[in-house]
This record gives sequence, structure tokens and C-alpha cells, in this order.
Amino acid sequence: MVARALTWWTILKISLEERLVYRGDFALGTLMRFLPIVTQIFLWTAVFAASESGTIVGYSRNDIVAYYLLTMLARAFSSMPGLASGIARQVRDGEIKKFLIQPIDLISYLLLARIAHKLVYYLVAAGPFALVYYLCRSYFPGWPATDVFAAFLLSLVLSFMLGFFLEASMGMIAFWFLEVTSLLFVYMLFTFFFSGHMFPLDMLPDFWLTLVDYMPFKYLAYFPAAVFLGKIEGEALYQGLLIQTAWVVFFIVSCRLLMQAGFNRYSGFGG
Amino acid sequence: MHHPSYLGVFLTFARNSLIRDMTFRANFLIEGISSVSWMIMNLGFYTLVYRFTPSIADWDKYEFFVFISTTMFVNSLVQAFFMPNAQELSELVRTGGLDFALLKPIDTQFLVSLQRVNWASLGNFFVALLLLAYAVPRIEGFELSPWHFLLYPLYIVLGVFILYSVMIALAATSIWLGRNQSLYDFWFYITNFSRYPMEIYEGTWGTPLRQLFTFVVPILVVINVPARIMAKPLVSDQVFLASFAMLATAISLLGSRWVFKQALLSYRSASS
Amino acid sequence: MIKAGAKARGQQSSKPCPSTFRPDLYPDAHWSAYNLLIMSAIKIRGLKKSYRVYRKKEGLLASITGLFQRDYREVDAVKGIDLDVEQGEFVAFLGPNGAGKTTTLKLLSGVISPTGGAASVLGHTPWLRENEYRRRFALVMGQKNQLWWDLPAQESFRLHQKIYRIDSSEFQRTRDELVDLLEVGQLLGQPVRELSLGERMKMELTAALLHSPDVLFLDEPTIGLDVIAQHNIQKFLKHYQAMRKITILLTSHYMKDVAALCRRVVIIAHGEIVYDGSLAGIVDRFSSHKVLTLHFAEERMPSDLARYGEVLEIVEPKAKLRVDRSSIAKVLSSVLANHAVEDVSVEDPPLEEVIADMFALTAKNQADKVAAESLTPSP
Repeated sequence: MVARALTWWTILKISLEERLVYRGDFALGTLMRFLPIVTQIFLWTAVFAASESGTIVGYSRNDIVAYYLLTMLARAFSSMPGLASGIARQVRDGEIKKFLIQPIDLISYLLLARIAHKLVYYLVAAGPFALVYYLCRSYFPGWPATDVFAAFLLSLVLSFMLGFFLEASMGMIAFWFLEVTSLLFVYMLFTFFFSGHMFPLDMLPDFWLTLVDYMPFKYLAYFPAAVFLGKIEGEALYQGLLIQTAWVVFFIVSCRLLMQAGFNRYSGFGG
Repeated sequence: MHHPSYLGVFLTFARNSLIRDMTFRANFLIEGISSVSWMIMNLGFYTLVYRFTPSIADWDKYEFFVFISTTMFVNSLVQAFFMPNAQELSELVRTGGLDFALLKPIDTQFLVSLQRVNWASLGNFFVALLLLAYAVPRIEGFELSPWHFLLYPLYIVLGVFILYSVMIALAATSIWLGRNQSLYDFWFYITNFSRYPMEIYEGTWGTPLRQLFTFVVPILVVINVPARIMAKPLVSDQVFLASFAMLATAISLLGSRWVFKQALLSYRSASS
Repeated sequence: MIKAGAKARGQQSSKPCPSTFRPDLYPDAHWSAYNLLIMSAIKIRGLKKSYRVYRKKEGLLASITGLFQRDYREVDAVKGIDLDVEQGEFVAFLGPNGAGKTTTLKLLSGVISPTGGAASVLGHTPWLRENEYRRRFALVMGQKNQLWWDLPAQESFRLHQKIYRIDSSEFQRTRDELVDLLEVGQLLGQPVRELSLGERMKMELTAALLHSPDVLFLDEPTIGLDVIAQHNIQKFLKHYQAMRKITILLTSHYMKDVAALCRRVVIIAHGEIVYDGSLAGIVDRFSSHKVLTLHFAEERMPSDLARYGEVLEIVEPKAKLRVDRSSIAKVLSSVLANHAVEDVSVEDPPLEEVIADMFALTAKNQADKVAAESLTPSP
């Protein structure tokens, strides 16, 4: 057990070091992440300037800006750049073989590498995030109640897990299709639109709203942000967290099943 | 005889890329579909927004659709011809493939900028054409003139050149940084600014930002100039911006070439 | 065996090791005399290349501080080498990993620029990268491929034709000739990713030779290939070189490549040329021993063989001894005087062994030097 923990700790450490070597990427990436928010502020200012009423589906301009800032935070947890494409590349290059040979579980390995990746990201990004949130503090309606805040934090952690297992499942598809970059692009578009990263999902007409409720994507961005802004309260809040958890469990299982099936297929073909 | 036939080489690149794309036909199809879905999502978003407002910074719905189709034209061209190569560059540095490019008796920037053509991205070009044909007649008081046919394509091409310059300069940094995973992100965020009418950048912060992205990094002129030519009446106050766009294109191309050459110099002295 | 090697190394290191081998001081001096008569294809003078590497530190904390401050270390890959190669020569570059072989090839092909020194290949300075020069040489690296992975090789060839501006009929003639020689005609239409390593290398060679270069740089062309594929590539290179009289510089780890192809061998270690001469000359120069095999006629083998030299092996009635080169005559006459011997043979130790010993020796010297440097505090 100790030996096992030690192995995982070593993998975590190596991943951290690997991430830190490429500091150029880091500095650029962190800085750039805040640019879209700037254009969103300008766009929505222009939208509200031309519209008659001061609110759109219950959001004021400030609410919308706060919403975007919060989805940014949620996406910092739930987005997994390079995860699925990384798996696809390993399958293509045959690098995936090492997980068939070495006593290391692929998914656990990727999860640890991802946690390392995220930890380093938060380490570097905490400063810029705090600064931007401080500068934009006037857009926020104020701190939510403690229980709402706790629910918000929980939904963030769940969104990380959902993001990871969902995208890892996507990556496993590479066992069946040689090149999956385009498929991943479609997936990226879907998450961008239906996670609520592009706009508050409340703006959708009823039909679409129902559709979105049946998809896992809204728990990647919309849900945590809406919880923080007090758009989801009481019964609905508990229900939402429950559904989010259910999606996480669903993708943990599907990801593992896909991996097993993929490995079987892979070894069947003789690598 | 001393110079390779650049056109011939480019056509061979295009041909080889097509052969390659055709061997991964399913992928080609998915890619085409994904470009179109992106387009639909984008349109969907603005249709949603226009449910709640009559105009955004003086661009009404159909004018804005022209703006969006302009964005699509420019982006599809950039994505078809330059994007895969810029992404490939950091890979070339990592695997040492750049060494082979440096051996060839042909301009290295030409070679690494154009060796792959992503044909699937051109699907968006045709969808943009449809959108343009749909939106233009619905603009109030629009009158088609020969100038539209001359200037609109010209400025789209100039816009593509500006974006290419930004992109290749960014890609060249991967030679310095060792690798550049965030190139794509960076690119997305930078072009994100260009995808809106420049009038929305207004006020204490907006005006300097607009000036920065017009005169220092000229990405705002990329879409705005051709889109205005098509969607807004052709009036004299567009002339300044249009002439500036010409100048900006020339400077961007020269500047990015300089950056590229510097990056190669550092590659040559830094690797073994 | 191991003990013998250690002994030999001990003796070697007591002698001063020349930093640069001067061909004119050694029996193979005709190489340099030849150069006065025939124009050199490659002329290198004091060529130097050093570069900076990021010194990655162990541990997590160090990695984090590395985010803000980086340590660089200067590495001298090539430390000022002199070399002349005539037109039509087939020269092998040998040396341990990281000795500077590949760096030298990259310098000569103009991929990288040197830190100092001069070189001229076919009258061009490589790192000026004139198109006239780039059209006259080719570089093939066994570990990298330049063909389009997902396309049939013939499409990559066509691209080469365009880039090098090869005349259509000329292109077809050259391609067919190369394809015939390498026997890859049936494979032209297959995507490169589906080819075996050996077939891929043949395609790489074809692509590299399409523009009929006058100088060819080969970096480990047979790496990872099986014996048959290696042999095929060797056969082809030998034939092609003899036919076209092109100048070839080859680096390889396989002594078989070298023995089959090159009359001249240049050994590089730690960025310096330590030997330049014939393959056979390496043994004369770097081995201080010969192997003496005695076939005794006596009933019992003499028990005091150790006084003649180091005993390597005894399989009655034969014995193998390692004898100092200088005393071989003396030992031999004394053995023949004291024992009844049926047969005698005197051989050089195997080439691989000599070279391995030499590399190990230079590696040890280098390690000692680095250790000595690290003791003195750096500024």
C-alpha cells in the first residue's frame, strides 16, 4: 500500500516538474485566459446600451459579467486541454503499450498528471485570477451565504471530475478511430456552447433549455456559476448537485469500460 | 532556374494534402461538419442576443450577419492554409524535422508556412458565402456596386495576411520556448478581439484598447474593414481605415518575416 | 578479459593523449599529401560549436524556482576540428554518443551555425545556405524521416522534384534507377507509415539522392535495421558511391558498415578528432597488444605461461595470450626455445574491442576532467 502510494507520489512529482519546465507556455497561457472576458464586457455593455430594459432573463449587465468571470473559474476546473488528444496520440504512436506492460493504471496515471497540471496552473493563475476578480469586484452581487458557497465549491470539484472523466472517455475513442482530432473539436464546440461558457443558458428558448437539462455539459460551467449567483436555490440546488454527481459516476464507469474494450481491441490487433 | 517554382511547390503541397485528407475521409467529413456547427452555434448565439436587443453598437442583425460571414471567410482561409502549419512548427522543432526544412533550396518560411493545406476548413468558406447571400439583401437601403466585388475580396485577402503574420510570429516563438502548447489558445484569444465590431470598444478602457488593436497589433482591421465595406454605406470616412489596412498588412508581413528569421537564427545557434 | 582491459587502459592513460591527431605524423600520412594534388570536397578548419542547455535541477522545489530563474550550462559539442575530405572519398565518422558527430554533419549541411572556425564544402560555406549549395548535397538521418508519413513515397518524391527543380525526364530517370537499385518498385504507392523500417530507409535514400547530390551526409543510416536490411543498404551505398564517385560522410555505430564501406575512418570523441586514418590503422595506433595463440605439442601444457603475457584462455592443447606489442618477438622466440609448439598465430585484437576500449578511455578522461572542474568553484 505504501509502495503503491509512493509510486503515485513519484508520478505526481514528475508530472509537476515536467509542467514547470515549460514556463514560457505557462506565462502566456495564464495571461491570455483573461482576454475573452474583456471583449465580453464590451459586447454586453453594447447590448445593454441598445436594449430597452435593464435586465435580460433576470441578468443585469453586471450579473452577466460576473457570470462570465465565474464560468472562467469553473472552466479552470473542468477544462482538460490536451487530455483526449494526448490519449489519442499515445494510441497512434503505440506509446499506450507501456500501460499494457507496466503495472500502472492508465486512468489513474492520467488523473494524477492532470491534478499536477491543475495544481501548477492554479499556483501560477491564482495571482492573475485574484487580481481580475478584485478589479471586477463591482460586477459581483456580493458574497453568497455560507451554505451556498459550500455548494459552489463542491460543484467546482465535481466539475473537475466530470470534465476529466468525460474527456478521458472521449480520448478512448481513439482506439477505434485513427485520427480523432476533429471529433474532439466537435466535442469542444459542444462544451463551449452547451456548458454555458458562451452565454447564460437561461437565455435559451424553452425547447433548448429542456435539452440542455438532459446533457452533462451544463455542469462544467453554467451550474457552478449559477449557484454562486443565487440563480439556483433550495430544492433545485440539491437536485442539481445530485445530478452532477450522477454524471461523474456515469463517466467514471464508461471511461473504464471504454479503456478495457480499447485495450482488448488493441492487443487483439497485435499493436 | 536558380529559384524553385514556388507555385509548383505550393500546388504539390495542396495536392499531397488532398491525397492525405482523402485517406482519412471520415475525418475530413467530421471536420467539415464541425466547422459548420461552429458557424451555426455562433449564429445561434447572436440570434439569441438579437431577441433581446435591436442592435449592437449600431450594427443591426443582418449587418452583423455580414460581419459574421466576413469572419468566416477570413478564418476559413487562415485555417485552411496557415493554421495546420503554424501548429506543426512547434512539432517540427521538437522532433528535429525543422532540420530537413532548413536543408531545402527554398525559402524556409514559405516551406513551413504552407506545406500542409487543410482542405476541410474551406467548407466554412462556402457556408459563409451562403450566409452572405442571405444577409446582404436584407440590409436596409443596401445597393450593390462594382466596388463591393473589388474591395471586399481584396480586404479579406489583406486580413488573411495580417492574421497569418500574427500567427507565424507566434509560432516562431515556439522555436525559442522549446514548445508551444498554448499557441492555439493564444491565437484564439487574440483573434477573439477581432471578431467584434470595433465600435464596441468604447470608453475609458475601450478606446485605448481599440487603438492598440488597430494601430499596434492591427487585428481589428482584419474583419472590420471588409465587413464595413460590404455592410455599411461606402462613405469617405472609411477611406482612412481602408488605406491604413493596406499599410498595416505590409508592415505585418515584413515584421513577421523578421521575427521568423530571428527565431531561425536562435535555433541555429542554440541547437547542436 | 575484464582485468586485461583494465590493465590496457591503465597503460594507455599514462601516455599523453594527443588532443588532435596529426595525420602527417603517422603512417597514413598519404591522405594529407593527396590533398595537395586533388581538390578537397570538404575542408574544415578549427570548426567549433558550443550551445547552452538548461540545467534541470532535481526535485520539485528546484523546478518551481526554475520557473523564475534558469541555470544554463555551456556545452562544447565540437571543439575546433580540422579535416579535409577529397572528392569521391567515403569517410566514416566514429565516436561514442554525444561525441559531436551529428553536430558536425549538421554544421556541414548548414542547419546550424558554428561558434567559430571555417568550413567549405564544394567551395561553399554551408551556413550561408546558398541555394546553389543546398542543391548539391543531401542529409539522411536514420532516426528521423522527412517523407510524408501518411502518403505514398512517390508523392514525397514529386515534391522533391518541385523543390529541387529537377527536370521531368531527369527526375524519372534518376528515380527509376534508384528504385531499381534499391528494389522498392512495388512499394512506391504504399503510404510510408505502412513500410518496414528498412524499406522506409530505402525510400529516404531515394528521396535524398533524387537531385543527384555531389556530397552525401549519412547519420546512422542503418540504425535499428536487421542484418539483411543493413547489408542491402551497405551494398547499395557501395555500388552507388563507386558508380557516381560522390563524396560521402557516414556516421555509424555498426563497425560492419564502416568495414564494408570506408577506407578512411575519423574518430571523434568529445568534440575532437582523435584519429584519422585507415580502419586497420586504428588497431596499430590504439592497441598496445597482440593476441598470441599457441598450439602445444607437449603432453602437458606448461604451467608458467603467465610469465610470457596475460593468459586469456586455455583450452588444451591451445592457449591464448595477450602480449605487449613491443615484446612480441622476444616472447615468441623464448616460447619456441622452451616448449614444443605445433602451431603459432599472432593476431590483432578484434576491432570492436579496440574501439570500445578507446571510447571507454576517452570517456574516463573526460569524466576525470569534469570532476576536476567541478571541484574548483565556478565564478
